[in-house]
Amino acid sequence: MALALMAAGCGGERGAAPSAVDPADVPEAERYGGTVVVGGLGEIQTMNAFVSSDYMTDQVQAYVLFMTLLRYDERLDPAPYLARGWEVSPDGNEVVFELRTDVRWHDGTPTTAYDVAFTFDRVKDPDVPYPSRSSFDNWETAEVLGPHRIRFTLRPHADFLNGWTALPIMPRHILKDVPPAELATHPFGTSEPIGNGPFRFVEHRPGDRWTFEANPDFPEELGGRPYLDRLVYRVIPNETTLFAELRSGGVHMYVRVAPELVEQVIEDPELRLVAFPFPNYSFIAWNSRRPFFEHAAVRRALTMAIDREEIVEAVRHGLATPAAGPVGPWHWAYDSARRPLPHLPDSAAVLLERAGWVDSDGDDVREKDGVRFSFELATNESRERRSIAELVQRYLANVGVEARPRVREHQSLVADVTSPERRFDAFLLSWQQGFVLDERDQWACDRIGRPLQFTSYCNPVLDAVMDSISQSTDRSDQGRLLRRYNELLANDQPFTFLYVERRADALRRSLQGVAPDFRGELADVGSWWLLEGAP
Amino acid sequence: MASGGCALIRFALRRLLQAVPILVGIVTLIFLLLHLAPGDAATAYFNPNVSPEIIDRMRENLGLDRPIHEQYFRWLRAFFTGDFGYSFGQHRPVSAVLADALPNTLVLSGVSLVLIFVVGCAVGAVQAVRQYSKLDNVLTFTSLFVYSMPGFWLGLMLILAFSSPALPDALRLPISGVTSIGYEFMGPLGKLLDRARHLVLPSVALGIASAAGVARYMRGSMLEVIGQDYIRTARAKGLPERQVILKHALRNALVPIVSLLGLYVPLLFGGSVVIEVVFSWPGMGRALYNAILGRDYPVVMAASFFFGVLVLAANLVVDLLYAAVDPRIRRA
Repeated sequence: MALALMAAGCGGERGAAPSAVDPADVPEAERYGGTVVVGGLGEIQTMNAFVSSDYMTDQVQAYVLFMTLLRYDERLDPAPYLARGWEVSPDGNEVVFELRTDVRWHDGTPTTAYDVAFTFDRVKDPDVPYPSRSSFDNWETAEVLGPHRIRFTLRPHADFLNGWTALPIMPRHILKDVPPAELATHPFGTSEPIGNGPFRFVEHRPGDRWTFEANPDFPEELGGRPYLDRLVYRVIPNETTLFAELRSGGVHMYVRVAPELVEQVIEDPELRLVAFPFPNYSFIAWNSRRPFFEHAAVRRALTMAIDREEIVEAVRHGLATPAAGPVGPWHWAYDSARRPLPHLPDSAAVLLERAGWVDSDGDDVREKDGVRFSFELATNESRERRSIAELVQRYLANVGVEARPRVREHQSLVADVTSPERRFDAFLLSWQQGFVLDERDQWACDRIGRPLQFTSYCNPVLDAVMDSISQSTDRSDQGRLLRRYNELLANDQPFTFLYVERRADALRRSLQGVAPDFRGELADVGSWWLLEGAP
Repeated sequence: MASGGCALIRFALRRLLQAVPILVGIVTLIFLLLHLAPGDAATAYFNPNVSPEIIDRMRENLGLDRPIHEQYFRWLRAFFTGDFGYSFGQHRPVSAVLADALPNTLVLSGVSLVLIFVVGCAVGAVQAVRQYSKLDNVLTFTSLFVYSMPGFWLGLMLILAFSSPALPDALRLPISGVTSIGYEFMGPLGKLLDRARHLVLPSVALGIASAAGVARYMRGSMLEVIGQDYIRTARAKGLPERQVILKHALRNALVPIVSLLGLYVPLLFGGSVVIEVVFSWPGMGRALYNAILGRDYPVVMAASFFFGVLVLAANLVVDLLYAAVDPRIRRA
């Protein structure tokens, strides 16, 4: 089982496809045609790039319907896309982008530098609810130099091009007259989007599906017309129903398949699994205002009491990597030699004892200064996290610490943990990081009291490192700083970093050309094709 | 008769007027409950990449930073001028959300309702006529079994059974959604058939437990009627049994069943929340469910309002029907 998972994890296939045709034998010219249905549990609400915030929506916008100025390559270096290239002034205060001249909106209008300037202006406008506006905080002005040339002024900072890899350029000729405050609700996003990407919009049936068709005019240099005729995204909010649709051929891909279904996917000869490292990690946040979690030594002891390898096997069926800190295996600065704290319950007990937590009344729970080491471990309704909370309860009981798991409705839990009063002892959640690891909102001393500084943890050395990371424009320098950042958090354990997800998708074997990496499953959607005669 | 008609109209008007304070009460209560729950639409952006300043700004833009009574009166005023506002989560007018979702729910509940009463009454009547026979026992057992099954579980079982790759294609039924992929390329008849096929499993899952309930009521009601003197009279005067049952017994036994309608309509709307999630049916139930999870207040408010209207309307219809089938009530 573990071996099979590892094979699947490498994006490889287990066993030979039961079809008579070897996909490699199908000539390129015969790969065109067909409709692929992608099924997911979550709804895609809008094609309006100014308001989106969830993962699948961003994927469809950036890779299917629209184009971003730049894209990340597999090394997380910005690469040309709508922009053919760019030049940075020696002092780093100016960037000039040279755009492609052969990209048109799907209504025939050319995509120009005016669209880029328009998109930038709206993103900077506080009336537009663009959730990632902070990626453009250091960008100041835009000046169109010609139909396909645009100059920006900015303050030099780390990963300064990041914002342009995520923001789809929006059509100025359609949206320019919409008042910024009304952009979020303009029908463009939900019923009449016009893009310039490899697929064109066909139809949106809210709560049901989005349909797209191949754009025959997509530039050859960027892959040209996609192989597929049509791409459909269907929302099927129930796991059992979605999996039944996959097995019966109603959908070709089940995105982010539930871990407990992984074994069934591997055993089904008509299906295969692809998995890839994904910037989403699970953690337990310790509220350092509580007497139990004040000291790093105690937090380290708690982490050492928890068997993360076992959690990964039991709850994720192997589809995760135990985490040392916030820099995960998907990131270029990840140091695979830096092992997470080991699972050593005996050492954990010693650490707790040294910190003054002793069980003197024989009730199997330690106490100190009359306070029992007993706290509430809150989590949300997710089955995965409920199981982890129960395991953690057991691990901690072994070292004389009582964790009381409590399942909360997600929004209520979020409201409590982000409140300035920090109405929690410890909580267990997972979340998705950005590609740029500027996480000062979570850790910086001056953010204590702000919503994302859950733990009220403060380390001035870490602050200095984080500030340097945000300024560094040199990769080797940045790599060194990021490893230091990871190291400091691994030592202080304001969170117990449980694991970094390996995101897994289940596919029918007829669906070929899917080789996702951390950038997401739709990044290479133009090269997907359907193998005729395969299940 | 004319005075009876007048009384009926007066009765209907009175009920309509009574409905207004009830509806205002419903929306006020829901508004309060919603705002008492921790979290709001802006907490949906719980994400390390979204800076807290932007979330504060969103809260401001959506008016969520205002005192609750101000939010309430602002919403109420807009609502009664026909402006349902914008969905925070779907980024489109709430009226558009309703226009898409409401018909889907009405079709599903309507078909289920017909199924509940046709199947329920038929089974109950057959059982009463064949009281204590083997058939009666089997149907009693089956209906009690079905009645005690949770709808979502039955739905999942139907999905697993009817999507099984082992099943011949002709027997398979769609397990999710309202239409097939490629629906737009079908002819008018094909479209109709496609929609009908998609309705089969969700309407069965939604209605079958209630149908079993109706069958139990119908059996009891029918048995009571069959024991009446006028049935004995009908038999004594030599009417064929078929006519006795269908014309005399069935009609009278149906009178109390009509009142069940008013009980089952709210159950159907409640059940649709779960069934629409299981069968990926883009209806009001699912819209409401998602809106509650995402604290999408405008959608929750409008959806609850319309569910309230539909339930009150169903009750009114039942009372009117009741008056129509039972002259004693009409006269009173």
